[in-house]
Amino acid sequence: MIRKALPFAAALVLALLPLGTQSTYLHHVMVLWMLYALLALSLNVIIGYLGELSFGHAAFFGLGAYASAILTMQTGVPVWLALIAAGLVAGLFGFVIGYVSLRIVGPQFAILTLGFGSIIYTVTNYWDDLTRGPMGINNIPPVTVPGVGPLGEARDYYFVVVACVLAFAYACHALMRSRTGRAFLAVRENAPLAASLGIDVFRTKLLGFVAATVVAGIAGGLYAHYLRVITPELMSLQYMAALIIMVVVGGRGTVVGPILGALIYVVLLEVLRAFGPLRLIVFAALLTGSVIFVPHGLVSLWRPWRRRADPAIRPEPAP
Amino acid sequence: MDWTLLGQQLANGVVNGMNYVLISTGLTLVFGVLRVINFAHGEFYMLGAFLTYFAMSALGIGYLPAVLLATVAVGALGILVNRLFFWPLRKEHEFTVLLSSLGLALLVTHGAELGFGHDPKYLNSPFTDDILEVGTIVLTQQRVLIFAAAVLVLAATYAAIRWTTFGRMMRATAQNPEGAALTGVDIRFVHTITFVLACGLAGLAGALVGPVAMIFPTVGSWAVLKGFIVVILGGLGSVPGALVGGLTLGVVEALAGGYVSLGFMEAIGYAIIILVLLWRPQGLFGSVAR
Amino acid sequence: MTGAAPLPLIEAVDLTRAFGGLVAVNKVSLAVHTGEIVGLIGPNGAGKTTMFNMLAGSLAPSAGTIAFEGRDVTRAPAHERARLGIARTFQITSVFPMLTTRDNIRTATYRTRGAGWLASTFRTAAWRRDEAAIDAVADEVLAFCDLAAQADIRADALSYGEQRRLEVAIALAAAPRLLLLDEPAAGLNPEEGQRLVGIIRKVRDRGVTVLLVEHHMRVVMGVCDRIVVLDHGARIAEGTPQEVAGNADVVRVYLGREQAHA
Repeated sequence: MIRKALPFAAALVLALLPLGTQSTYLHHVMVLWMLYALLALSLNVIIGYLGELSFGHAAFFGLGAYASAILTMQTGVPVWLALIAAGLVAGLFGFVIGYVSLRIVGPQFAILTLGFGSIIYTVTNYWDDLTRGPMGINNIPPVTVPGVGPLGEARDYYFVVVACVLAFAYACHALMRSRTGRAFLAVRENAPLAASLGIDVFRTKLLGFVAATVVAGIAGGLYAHYLRVITPELMSLQYMAALIIMVVVGGRGTVVGPILGALIYVVLLEVLRAFGPLRLIVFAALLTGSVIFVPHGLVSLWRPWRRRADPAIRPEPAP
Repeated sequence: MDWTLLGQQLANGVVNGMNYVLISTGLTLVFGVLRVINFAHGEFYMLGAFLTYFAMSALGIGYLPAVLLATVAVGALGILVNRLFFWPLRKEHEFTVLLSSLGLALLVTHGAELGFGHDPKYLNSPFTDDILEVGTIVLTQQRVLIFAAAVLVLAATYAAIRWTTFGRMMRATAQNPEGAALTGVDIRFVHTITFVLACGLAGLAGALVGPVAMIFPTVGSWAVLKGFIVVILGGLGSVPGALVGGLTLGVVEALAGGYVSLGFMEAIGYAIIILVLLWRPQGLFGSVAR
Repeated sequence: MTGAAPLPLIEAVDLTRAFGGLVAVNKVSLAVHTGEIVGLIGPNGAGKTTMFNMLAGSLAPSAGTIAFEGRDVTRAPAHERARLGIARTFQITSVFPMLTTRDNIRTATYRTRGAGWLASTFRTAAWRRDEAAIDAVADEVLAFCDLAAQADIRADALSYGEQRRLEVAIALAAAPRLLLLDEPAAGLNPEEGQRLVGIIRKVRDRGVTVLLVEHHMRVVMGVCDRIVVLDHGARIAEGTPQEVAGNADVVRVYLGREQAHA
């Protein structure tokens, strides 16, 4: 009973979080947390469910941000339409890139996505006419809700983003209880066995990859219309690494893990601000340490404890 | 068509390409022998350049001795890195190793930013100001030095892999680690030396290229990215692949930079690689069965 | 093929596979009819694994054809064959290690059942029905393969014998017409081997046809209706276990050697 109610309670707390404080600074941090959580959840589809490492995910985030910003500023389309377009643009790139690179898997795939991410980063930096180069784009219009007006306050914007996060988190949860989701895990766990059960490994991976890039694109759009300033640095190696840190440190292959990872990232970023460059060293140490000592992320710390009470679980077999 | 310009672009491309070959040979060796993608590989390039700089400024020695010292020091650092980061993780999932090497890369980069400062440094070499003319092609002596040193070192490396006992042990380990261990190959020793070789080559590249470019702490991520592109193009784990891939990338980038646009130079380089991979997903010299 | 004979479930004609200059399988023809349990045997290097992999679709033949229920599948990739109703196990134990035994089996129902993501997002009636049906299949297969007690244990924590039974369970959950077993008894002790023989016999009673490659003579002789013997990539004998056991060629190339070992 408690276990059934827990997710609902957590979702409710998350949804009403900004009501607990008057501080606009904290509201701002919360919005950032949710934006990163959405992004980390989408990357988790690739890393956690499909079992492939993608270093190009920040590029799709950036593509979405730029697509949405440019569309609203140059053509004047409403922001909600631009957000959908942002998802589509990122998904289109995701399809092409996935189609090319998913034929190879493992480390080669990871490096290829890194290469693609770098191309997009480079082009964004140099295509001045469209992207204004390294200067970035500013004065991006905010999200406007009909009848309410522009969402200028961080607290108001939080509700938009948290709705997206909760919807996508639920979608991921539902995915794992569907045939498609089982195919994702099968492909991750054992591709030849998956194929022997009728699962088209390549198409399954492509499907998951494209879905993840669509969501990353939407997250990028949401980011652009919130901060109202974007630069190509969104797609830099720093960001790519940060995303992977969130998913891995939080716990890949779970819904809670990436949200937790995003929280840790955002909070540490703020708390360590005083340390200057040292904070990046702390991050790196955090990544290295957690990968080596907690390979399945922070959420895995809580699980063995729960399982130990279960007599049906046998000790790990000797290798 | 301006043949002089073309010749000049090609010459520049080959020199840059040799730098890429130096970087990526180590990357591909480490993958071939340890089955590890080392994200921190570029950091050794960065350290090679900075150690040369500090050897010259702090110890007051000349450029060439400093290069030698930096190369040896970075190679020796390879022993430590293998011992601390890669040897303990040798049985872990490839993600774990890849991510911990990414952590190491970030650690070294940010450590260097803290220790060496953000601002770029200029490495002085007595060869940067003098030029060498071959027909109508003009190269600085430093670039000639990069090319000559790279050819020499790579030839020695290839010879060592091909003909020495250690090279045989290395190839045996690359093909079949268990089998190699059974026939008495000391796997740990092979891993260590492979790492020393890889780090030394990267450090040498940084020390040589430092004077023709600015050096800054984040140059490592640039170097490792170039290295990755080359090994993917040439085929992961293939030493000839690193040679052909590196030279190809250097020349393609030089031509794209000369004839299309300097800004898009790198993007065009990547585009070529995508075309190659569409045709051969395993890279030019990669093997299918893996 | 004579007109009166029923169409074989799977039929390979002149199947050939060369690796470089080495011909691993040379013009081997083989037919398995519905309801049979057929064994494919031969000494090491006879080409039985190559033959098996060509039938399962993980290795492309150099020449020859494979037909499943009269349909040409020579060039069909593994997942397409699986969709037609061919299930297989692997020589090296192959399960989904991080999933529980039950989830391994649930995953294997991919071919026949399971509503997609949208249905599960909105928890449609069709999705609930399907999930219940999948649970029923899982329960049935778990019981069938003596794995009910291990249902909620992660597959990588199962014993070796349990993992081998789980492989069969995964294949059965796919509701195949033809089950290809690649050395199912490899590495099992005699008791576990007997247990497996019992399961294979029961598999046929489910209406599943079985083709197995095996090393263990006791398993092959105990369970097969018909045996095909390969040696050096060619077919040298075919018949009932008694006929094959009495065949001089077979005794010479295979049984003799095997008994000399034992």
